[in-house]
Amino acid sequence: MTKLCLRAVGVRAGERTLLDGASLELGPGEFVALVGPNGAGKTTLLRAALGLLTPASGSVTVGDAPLASLSLRDRAAALAWLPQAAAPPDAISARATVMAARYRFRETAATTRRAADQALERVGLVTRADSPLTELSGGERQRVAIAALLAQEARFLLLDEPANHLDPAQQAETYGLLGSVRASGVGILCVTHDVNLLNHVGHEPRVVGLARGQLRFALPYAAPELPERLSGLFGLTMLALHVGDARLIVPAPPGAPSSGEPSAAPSPAAHGAER
Amino acid sequence: MTRTLVLAVLSLVASALAVLVGPALTGAQGDFILWQLRVPRVLVGALVGGTLGLVGAAFQTLFANPLASESTVGTTAGATLGALVALALDLPGGFWTLFGCACVGAALASVSVTLVAGSGRAAMADVLLAGITVTVATGALSVGLQYVSDSRALVAAARWSLGQLPQVGYDGVLVLAPFVVPAWLVILAEGRALQTFAFGEELSESRGVNVGRLRMLVLGAGSLAVAACVAWCGPIAFVGLIVPHLVRRVVGPALARVLPLSLASGAAFLVLCDALARSVSPGRELPVGVVTAALGAPGLVLLLFRGRKT
Repeated sequence: MTKLCLRAVGVRAGERTLLDGASLELGPGEFVALVGPNGAGKTTLLRAALGLLTPASGSVTVGDAPLASLSLRDRAAALAWLPQAAAPPDAISARATVMAARYRFRETAATTRRAADQALERVGLVTRADSPLTELSGGERQRVAIAALLAQEARFLLLDEPANHLDPAQQAETYGLLGSVRASGVGILCVTHDVNLLNHVGHEPRVVGLARGQLRFALPYAAPELPERLSGLFGLTMLALHVGDARLIVPAPPGAPSSGEPSAAPSPAAHGAER
Repeated sequence: MTRTLVLAVLSLVASALAVLVGPALTGAQGDFILWQLRVPRVLVGALVGGTLGLVGAAFQTLFANPLASESTVGTTAGATLGALVALALDLPGGFWTLFGCACVGAALASVSVTLVAGSGRAAMADVLLAGITVTVATGALSVGLQYVSDSRALVAAARWSLGQLPQVGYDGVLVLAPFVVPAWLVILAEGRALQTFAFGEELSESRGVNVGRLRMLVLGAGSLAVAACVAWCGPIAFVGLIVPHLVRRVVGPALARVLPLSLASGAAFLVLCDALARSVSPGRELPVGVVTAALGAPGLVLLLFRGRKT
């Protein structure tokens, strides 16, 4: 089984240590959420995993092959990336945007086009294939970006805050879509600030905490100690609210009891306040 | 799609019809004027204009900068300096000396900029700055050279630097085609890589584009082709800057259309500018560089203002 493995990866920028001995495994059909405060090294970890920067120590392998030994096209067959800061929208069409993600395939333009349309179909945007990105909403543009990820047909997807700047409905929709992509056997590593969105993945993800370049924990999403570990990670009290079968983890409001003890019984008021 | 076809057909027809511009042709003298003067002139115009348009479009993508063009990365300036050295020092050997010197100058300027581009992860802004630095430096050297050269050489240099197409026979076609046509093919073959690159350097790398190789290929091929054109015709302004902008306005930004159409439209644009140059005042034709600059400068200003409104 092909896995993406980071082993004790260290990244430096001059004097500063951006990543300090980070190890992570991602298998097919797995969903790993990478959380941590700003500047923790989440994006650096993704860039190291993609081979966009060379680690000072440690190794990145895909299956048995070190990442550095793969050709760029083979690398693109293994790993696809959704960067955090998308380029400013151009008047280029959604279809052409998705088509550009298939560079690794040596195929005719007609084949590329068909594959791009299929990817747009999967994100529900095939009717807007000819629309310039400038005429799409932020949520639609993000779906085009995800269609591009799908069109690359990589075994692993590395996403950097894919729901950033989206409204709540579009955030939920984005994570639902990622859940269905995971279900098709793709491994997903996703940087996020909002662990509650993981409820929409429809599968129990692993949550990996990163602070100051070091991995602090790796827990199943349902682990009872997760709120406490997140509190430690972000340096603020996080409370667990149970809504039906789901659990929401939210920062404690000012003045709330700061025991860090997850509240077992949800109050309707807290429920209403959160959603 | 229709717009693409219309623009392509229009470019071809316009280039072909440019042969007919001028006094009516009759008899053996007419045949000579048509086949030895006008047709080769249109062909050279098409080779040069097509090169400038295509390279301009490719450079604008490569530098992620709408103001990038062959003149911004130092190629034109280098070629100009090389040719001026030949003219000012009155080197023997006629045209081929001029051609060789211009090529050397352009190659030196482009290579220095390309080296900056190829040196690891230089930012695109660095490359553009290097290009501008080379341009300014060679410009200063050119002026210095003109200052010390005699008046006859000065006139020759000034005439050459206006940019013009006149010629007799097919020497120009035979000299330019082996340089520019392979360069066209290289750049067009990298169209898909350039399109992927347009979405961001690192993103394109993660999608399998060898960015260093792409830069070397497009900058190298483009610079060599432009050097040949500049050596033959002198620096011709604005074609590489304005033609891709016009093409994008008509068919949108997708490079699968923009690159080939910049080639076709650049050819048509320069050929038509030249037709205008030789018919605007009978018996005394303008250098085509004057016409492209006269049309191009206000056109660019217009584009900038209209672009700002949307």
